[in-house]
Amino acid sequence: MYSSNPLVLAVVEHARSLPSEPALSWRGKTVSFAELAEMTRTAASVVAGLPPGPVGIVGEKAPETVALVLGCLAAGRRFLIPAPTLPVPTLSSLYRRAGCVAIVSTSDMGDGANGLATDVVDVRASAGEPPEVEADDVSFMLTTSGSTGTPKIVPLTVAAVERFARWAGAEFDLGPGRRVLNYAPLNFDLCLLEVWATLRCGGCVVLADPEQATNGAALAELVAGQRVHVVQAVPMFYELLLPAVRAPLDSVDRVLVTGDVFRPALLPRLREVFPNARLTNVYGCTETNDSFTQDLRADMDVIPMGAPIPGVRALLVAEDGSVLHGSGVGELLVSTPFQTPGYLDSPDRYVPHPEGADELRYFRSGDLVRRTDTGALVLEGRTDSRVKIRGQQVNTQQVEQVLLDHPAVLEAAALVAPDPVAGKRLHVVVRTDGTANSLVLRRHCVDRLPRAAVPSTLRVATDPLPRTATGKVDRKHLTAT
Amino acid sequence: MDNTEIITRYLVEEFLPDVDVTELPPDYDLFAGGVVDSLALLKIIDWLGERFHLNLEDIEIAPDNFRTVHAIDSFIGAAGAHLVGKGMS
Repeated sequence: MYSSNPLVLAVVEHARSLPSEPALSWRGKTVSFAELAEMTRTAASVVAGLPPGPVGIVGEKAPETVALVLGCLAAGRRFLIPAPTLPVPTLSSLYRRAGCVAIVSTSDMGDGANGLATDVVDVRASAGEPPEVEADDVSFMLTTSGSTGTPKIVPLTVAAVERFARWAGAEFDLGPGRRVLNYAPLNFDLCLLEVWATLRCGGCVVLADPEQATNGAALAELVAGQRVHVVQAVPMFYELLLPAVRAPLDSVDRVLVTGDVFRPALLPRLREVFPNARLTNVYGCTETNDSFTQDLRADMDVIPMGAPIPGVRALLVAEDGSVLHGSGVGELLVSTPFQTPGYLDSPDRYVPHPEGADELRYFRSGDLVRRTDTGALVLEGRTDSRVKIRGQQVNTQQVEQVLLDHPAVLEAAALVAPDPVAGKRLHVVVRTDGTANSLVLRRHCVDRLPRAAVPSTLRVATDPLPRTATGKVDRKHLTAT
Repeated sequence: MDNTEIITRYLVEEFLPDVDVTELPPDYDLFAGGVVDSLALLKIIDWLGERFHLNLEDIEIAPDNFRTVHAIDSFIGAAGAHLVGKGMS
């Protein structure tokens, strides 16, 4: 039943050598590697019984879903795991585009999924003729956030997932005895580290309950109670967690911030809450996976992108298409050992090196990056956040960043709206803690932004801004309201 | 209610819905703060004409006259005097 997929082979090997070691922790219960291997075997037989072709997975957070993913890998099936919270028409279109022959949810696995493994050695003995998995075969199919349109399908090869797991395992120590928090939903690319690299390396994944996802106190209790060693999450998690923590989370030795821009104002508190941890910002996107890391200090005013991960090549390309060798702003092009071969059914965003310096395929990240005089790289925004307002170049993300730098501002979204007179105008929505009104924030902008970048309208909201399933501000929804 | 208060109230209602009337200082630079742009300026001039019965057609409009609540207040005074002056002649 088992294929030669390296992640499955590793889990089976952990089940043999460390059968009672915990693989998953979920709602106070533990699933051992032996149990997980048995659940995987059940899932693999369910998957193997389906007509040939890709499988759709309903990504509800549960140990059974983890086993279902492993089951697909074991059966040598590629699978699509989209956000279960997407609107139904988007979901069905995604499953159709991926060519899924069946959509499997954890309830299809029956009681066997929860059964105990009685004889782990049997798991391998029953393998029979394992389907051979080629390194170029696609396993995971993830989706982009869809914050600017329909989500795209991002296939990942067996080899790319394995290279990433090996890098992450060594870099963050994800092996036996280690406990890694999984905050992200199971469809999120962050799981490649938190869940899949951890299981690959023999660590235990502490699954956070989505029902507690916005409850800072419950999250703090989970990290403390489960004696978590590694925490990776989007900035929103830390925004919720940090104010709710009563006693320092001293079991944690690695903290990773990723997925969005982190407010430097939170750094001192982050340092305080995780006194024993190395704090690291990780830059990456779904298409390329992690690409840059930067260790964080409490006194940083700006968080640079840091240095490329070993094996990662990066370039800045100016608007005229030339490679930027000195200081300046350009689009970041990146080539990683972990990157997708290309979107499933949309044109890919790879280009060759503009100067023909190598044979790599570079991913056009769409991120605008500044290289300073000292050579540091700083994220400036998106290429599609560059707009012209009254003839002047304005970067909407820079506007958001300036507002976020104000201590009263918790969230900010700058949108470009059509204007009958000016053509375009800048409309900004901010959520504050109630200590600053729009006049104060306007004055703050005036002191820090060019005139054209000062918002025409500035709406102060008290409710959290709407977000997409992957935690990015939902601009479509904001524009509509 | 004096003119300063009437002007402040109008600006806050029209352009600063989240701000309290007491929070807009009469010397706040409305242009620099992005509260008033060229479109808003036309609206304000329309409103001033109607509210204070000013005939603004033959008065030169200098943006500096609308930079602050104080400036608008002085402008009304000047425009009103202009009107009165014309009536007397």
